[in-house]
Amino acid sequence: MNLKNPSYFRAATVAIALLIATFIVLVLIGVVTHSPPAVLVECLLSEEIQFAVRLSIITSVISTLLCILVAVPVAYALARYTFPGKTVMNMLMDIPMALPPLVAGVGLLLFFGVSPIGKSLAAAGLAFVFTPLGIIMAQFFVNLPYMLRVTRSTFQGVNPRYEYVAKTLGCTDAQAFWRVTLPMSANGLLAGSVITWSKGIGEFGAGLMLAGATRMKTETLPLSLFLNMSTGKLEYAIAAATILIMISVVSLYAFERYGGATHVY
Amino acid sequence: MLTIDSVYKSLGEFSLSNVSLEIGDREYFIVLGPTGAGKTILLETIAGIYSPDAGRILLNGRDITDVPARERNIGMVYQDYMLFPHLTVEDNIGFGLKSRRADPAFIRGKMQESADLLNIAHLLHRYPGTLSGGEQQRVALARALVMEPEALLLDEPLSALDVKTRENLRTELARIHKATGTTIVHITHNFEEVFDLADRVAIMRGGDVIQVGAPEEIFRRPNSDFVAGFVGVENLFSGTGSSDGTVAVGNLRMRVENGISGPVSVAIRPEEIFLSKTAPPENGRNVFPGRIETVRPNGGLIRVAVEAGIPFRVTLTRQGFEEADIVAGDAVYLAFRPSAAHVYPSGAHEEA
Repeated sequence: MNLKNPSYFRAATVAIALLIATFIVLVLIGVVTHSPPAVLVECLLSEEIQFAVRLSIITSVISTLLCILVAVPVAYALARYTFPGKTVMNMLMDIPMALPPLVAGVGLLLFFGVSPIGKSLAAAGLAFVFTPLGIIMAQFFVNLPYMLRVTRSTFQGVNPRYEYVAKTLGCTDAQAFWRVTLPMSANGLLAGSVITWSKGIGEFGAGLMLAGATRMKTETLPLSLFLNMSTGKLEYAIAAATILIMISVVSLYAFERYGGATHVY
Repeated sequence: MLTIDSVYKSLGEFSLSNVSLEIGDREYFIVLGPTGAGKTILLETIAGIYSPDAGRILLNGRDITDVPARERNIGMVYQDYMLFPHLTVEDNIGFGLKSRRADPAFIRGKMQESADLLNIAHLLHRYPGTLSGGEQQRVALARALVMEPEALLLDEPLSALDVKTRENLRTELARIHKATGTTIVHITHNFEEVFDLADRVAIMRGGDVIQVGAPEEIFRRPNSDFVAGFVGVENLFSGTGSSDGTVAVGNLRMRVENGISGPVSVAIRPEEIFLSKTAPPENGRNVFPGRIETVRPNGGLIRVAVEAGIPFRVTLTRQGFEEADIVAGDAVYLAFRPSAAHVYPSGAHEEA
């Protein structure tokens, strides 16, 4: 800093930034250090928290895989082709992201609970209402737009001429995608998957509506936090929160690491 | 033989309208035109990336208009190389042969052959991101040539390179063309590439082919103001042609090579005009008195503006300039042969 000519504006903006960063750190440390370490460890190892960790990981991994599976072809179509209704479709795909998760949850509950499609799915053995399957569906529905957006912009960043060259070298459209565009998009897809997965782990509102909050049945980490908080078992709630904080920090780091390294060819 | 027969293609702001070209076997054919002339669409349509709205494309007698790109056996090389960044040089070159499910030993042999041809054998294990522009373009050429394409399309292959590398690779292209005998269609906006490489040239503007011919022909006998301007004809005059083989331009009457009656344009290259302080013998030439307006050195050449009732631009070599011994303000004589004055009807190939 130029000491002869101090800028008060600069000092003020930096001070606000410092203040807010301190606030964030204090909030997080407050959660993690609330319980004595021995109690925290005991809770982390309890059957209920272990169940929540397992359920959260299984549901979020499956819903992330589903998001990738759907987002890749959809994002490719939106990035590469022109077709009637594309603009409207682009907008529709983003709606679940802007929607409050509780509203998405109500919609899903009605769709799978009372609509003819939902009823026939349930009759065929695919029951989403108040089941772990519902958690996966809720995470998928709410998080798909995030995966879609990252994937679409990744594909848009790959010059279509790479595919043109691949085609002159004997590739079909699908082979050009598989051998050229997809590997060139690997970093972007990885970053998108990490962010989608971490959002899946934290998903609460839509899952609460569709899958309910049943202890040891649909109890994911955020639901465990909610259930234990409302029944006064603060130290269990803290344990769930601690794990969620760790996951958030690690996945944010991974996203920055791989997302930041994404080459735009 | 590559035949483009009345091809139309519209793609937003770029288009092709009624493009017809016949490109012979083993020919090195250059398509020249400014940015936006539709040159890249032309190549991508030949390659099969786009299908034409109308017209046909034939390759060695086979109608390939509706054949997908992967079955055309036409190679494509872009200005920006478009090497697959996730593959080594070796895998880039082998990419096409793997698509064809060729035998690994065959692939290795072919790859070695084209790596040797392009002098890139020492780069096979590198990734494209670590190569210089010139090296990348060699790899891109090898990747296309290893397929032994029936035609090779080059989209401004030298434009992204620095001057020195560009000259080297230009020489290489000529050598490769000679060695492989591949029919090449090369597009560029740079006239320099034409004389070193092209058997024939087509000039494009706004999706139209305006003139096709040998480089010398296009250079000396442009058929329109646009081509004349593009190839650097600086003396362009409007005049009135007579059937006796002369054209009246202002107060001057000049003998010309190809007499056309009516309103015409006359194109005279600045280096075809001779200057001297004393009246030179006519010997069938056009000789006009004038006055030097400006003398401007430009690299190895001297550019002189002469007023002779109409303004002439003359380019002299340094030696020619010293022999003429002229300075601005001198009275001089201009002389040029009738064959240097190329005439075409006014308004030919004007944009509608």
